[in-house]
Amino acid sequence: MKYQQIDQYAAKISDEKRTAVYGGSKAGYDSRKKALFTHYTAPDDLRRLAGNIKQHTIENLDTYLPQVEAKLQANGAKVHWAEDSHEACQHVLEIMRARNATKIVKAKTMVSEEIGLAHYLEKEGIECLETDLGEFIVQIAHDQPSHIVKPIIHKNRREIAKLFEENGLGDYNDDPETITRRARQYLRHKYLEADVGLTGANFVSAESGRLVVVTNEGNSRFSLAATKVHIALVGIEKIVPKDRDLAILLNLLARSGTGQQLTVYTEFISGPRSATQPDGPEEMHVIFVDNGRTEVLASDCREILRCIRCGACLNVCPVYRQASGHAYRSVYPGPVGAVLSPLLAGKKFPELADLPKASSLCGACNEVCPVNIPIPDLLLRLRDRGKREHSEAAAAAAPPLGGFALGATLPIAWKSALALGGLINFVPRALLPRAVKSWIDARGLPPWRGGQFRKWMKQRKMK
Amino acid sequence: MNLSREKILGRVRAALAPLKTRAAHPTFADNAATMRSLSTIDATALFKERLQLVNGRAFDDAASLVAWLKSEGHTHGYCDPTLWPSLESAFENSFKVETSFDRTRIDDYQFGITRSVGAIAETGSIVINDGSTSSRLGALAPWVHIAVVSKKQIYPDLVSAVMSLGEDPNVIWCTGPSKTADVEGILIQGVHGPGVQIALLDI
Amino acid sequence: MPKTTPQRPKGKRIQLMATCLCDAFYDDVAAATVEILEHLGCEIDFPEAQTCCGQPAFNGGDWAASRKVVRHAVKTFAGENPVVVPSGSCAAMMYHGAVLEFEKEPDLASVKQLGHRTWEVCDYIVNGLGISTWSGRFDAKIAFHRSCHLRGSGSTDAVYKLLRSIESVELVEFDEFEQCCGFGGTFSVTFPYISKSMGELKLNHLRAAKPDIIVSADMSCLMHLGGLANKQNQPIKSMHVVQILRDALKNSGGLAK
Repeated sequence: MKYQQIDQYAAKISDEKRTAVYGGSKAGYDSRKKALFTHYTAPDDLRRLAGNIKQHTIENLDTYLPQVEAKLQANGAKVHWAEDSHEACQHVLEIMRARNATKIVKAKTMVSEEIGLAHYLEKEGIECLETDLGEFIVQIAHDQPSHIVKPIIHKNRREIAKLFEENGLGDYNDDPETITRRARQYLRHKYLEADVGLTGANFVSAESGRLVVVTNEGNSRFSLAATKVHIALVGIEKIVPKDRDLAILLNLLARSGTGQQLTVYTEFISGPRSATQPDGPEEMHVIFVDNGRTEVLASDCREILRCIRCGACLNVCPVYRQASGHAYRSVYPGPVGAVLSPLLAGKKFPELADLPKASSLCGACNEVCPVNIPIPDLLLRLRDRGKREHSEAAAAAAPPLGGFALGATLPIAWKSALALGGLINFVPRALLPRAVKSWIDARGLPPWRGGQFRKWMKQRKMK
Repeated sequence: MNLSREKILGRVRAALAPLKTRAAHPTFADNAATMRSLSTIDATALFKERLQLVNGRAFDDAASLVAWLKSEGHTHGYCDPTLWPSLESAFENSFKVETSFDRTRIDDYQFGITRSVGAIAETGSIVINDGSTSSRLGALAPWVHIAVVSKKQIYPDLVSAVMSLGEDPNVIWCTGPSKTADVEGILIQGVHGPGVQIALLDI
Repeated sequence: MPKTTPQRPKGKRIQLMATCLCDAFYDDVAAATVEILEHLGCEIDFPEAQTCCGQPAFNGGDWAASRKVVRHAVKTFAGENPVVVPSGSCAAMMYHGAVLEFEKEPDLASVKQLGHRTWEVCDYIVNGLGISTWSGRFDAKIAFHRSCHLRGSGSTDAVYKLLRSIESVELVEFDEFEQCCGFGGTFSVTFPYISKSMGELKLNHLRAAKPDIIVSADMSCLMHLGGLANKQNQPIKSMHVVQILRDALKNSGGLAK
């Protein structure tokens, strides 16, 4: 391959889309900075603390997973385990079939995207309706979300207005308030018609068996007030050791992701509805999903499992801002996706091994990560792996550096190169190595000064 | 199913086996994440201030609440039957307040009044749970939600709030009215949940 | 995130790593480094066998090739003295990147030994030699582009300390300070569109602040930005921090010969 796919994608997106993505990301970055630095004197200390809490958790998952399972069962929830996407979808289907259920209202959960749930259920005649406004719009547009927190960061109001008109949700009107009211009106009756409310979980406390679900819109609450069955899809890495740890993580999550102190609703769900409550699920099912996470745990990139899906790394990433989330060809885009997606791909790692290369390794992602994941280090490890596994996608457009490395280990060769390098100005452009041509086309070259410093230094020493 | 469980846990154990040491669970002080320069340590005053910052409203008595409801034209609502006896006198005849929530008529209810089990001063959050909420839908579906908050149950921060979650299976921290910024990042209040979040402060 | 080791040696007898970029294009930056360090009383060894820090291959994922280059550096810079380098990215390669790629190698200890005494030059001046003000004079509005590999080190604060203390230097601020310039080593040729877009965005922000000179602790960023600016037919004036420091001394006649 001559070109890197993500660079190509970035070159081809419309100005409108790039403006929307850039503006949305930058706003997210600015609001995070304001929230954290106005509220705390040492937000970086908090990030390190939260990182240590999550690192401890993933390194002790062998203890915490059985512990959280026992707690959930004691609370009256049923616990299921899914090795892969297919099994996870099957569990959902079985729960539906057992109750002759055909309608799900769904809050936002990236795991459901990962396992392709809506598509799977559609084939089984089950309606799986997105209720988060952004995801609802993605669904009716047959599109893909391009950000893990702001799914339609790439869309503008005109596109949404047209979409609503095409889907029988009123005449063309691109006023954001009108759009929102229409969605509210349409979806509230859908909740009441549905059989099952499906959510993810931002955290699961191993101490109390509580799922924590954070939202702004109230869609998760409505799903769990109107329906009789709750299904929660939870990645095995979402565990938090103690309730008290949640205070730190919750203080960081919304500030990092949206610049809010807390999202509007923080739900702590530990079982089906209480005996005296007329509304809500009588049954609660938690499906713990592996789907490649144990492989990540076994790898030298396990720190990525700390991720709490805030989206801060996307917001600050200069590559994400230029390319948009769709460029990453996977469920998780941006810096976190560049690590997680190729790893979760298992045997298909080489196909996504270009994702870790789509970075200048600037380190801004680590700087904003609420759990201090050393993303650039993980990207580097994956580049090493991509090279060793001879990934074509990773190797695309890469200048061969073997010769450079050789020259850099032989001082005589090096000094010759310094002396002769000036000849580059006389080599016809067509004969230059592709990488050099690419550089010179965009930037030219400064005057060649090979050997000059060493000469100066020698003369200085002689004085 | 059990086979999957064993396989997954087996892979977890195998993945962690090579680790020579496991990272310790860090300890932290209760005030590790307390916000700096809070304007006041008076819990009620701080709660009211932060509630307002998230576009919530507080009323100190039923009379002013009812006056506001009337001025907004919200005259048909739902109220927790255990609260109604103490509130009834504040509502005049032009109001229609039902004490059972009929989910076939959710659009009829313009407001819902339910209990809370506390509040969080630092964030302006109202804490509700299954035990205290007479109807999940009644607290959520109407445009206006009014939570009765006891001044004696205001927690200063998240640590104290988390340690007080208790045994209830469904505790919710409500921090202002529902909202979204999905459309071009523009903030719109009132999505699937209430568009107005009120705390009625009781003693 | 690359973090410098707290206990780096602080003596005045040092080894200079010139960097491959200075070897090829920016001899005056390496010379200025020598001039200011000798002005501060340092005795400088320049191991002639030096070539490169190994970063290009490391970043590209060719760790086998990079390790060869690092091993050569370990041999070349053998000793106990501080190694000082006028580049944040080369310094970070020595104290962080090399350590990462040698994690499973038998000679990790020797790589760590080198990394743990490597200093970016401004960090060395302020935190190694204890200098907190710079004498001399330099009349200019300067926009300091904080190169990405200075993150996690004492270099950024050191640069500010030094520049702010020079008479007549005015530091100007610009938007999106935290954003990368888009060089990223081989990234600039493997992701040319994105690299160029990032660079042009950075140039817009820098120009909006109307500086006289754009200054950095890394010539790689300046080579990338300067090149793009030339292609736009709007060349920029750029200098390395050490050149500012040297010229400030020269301007007030304070530079030791």
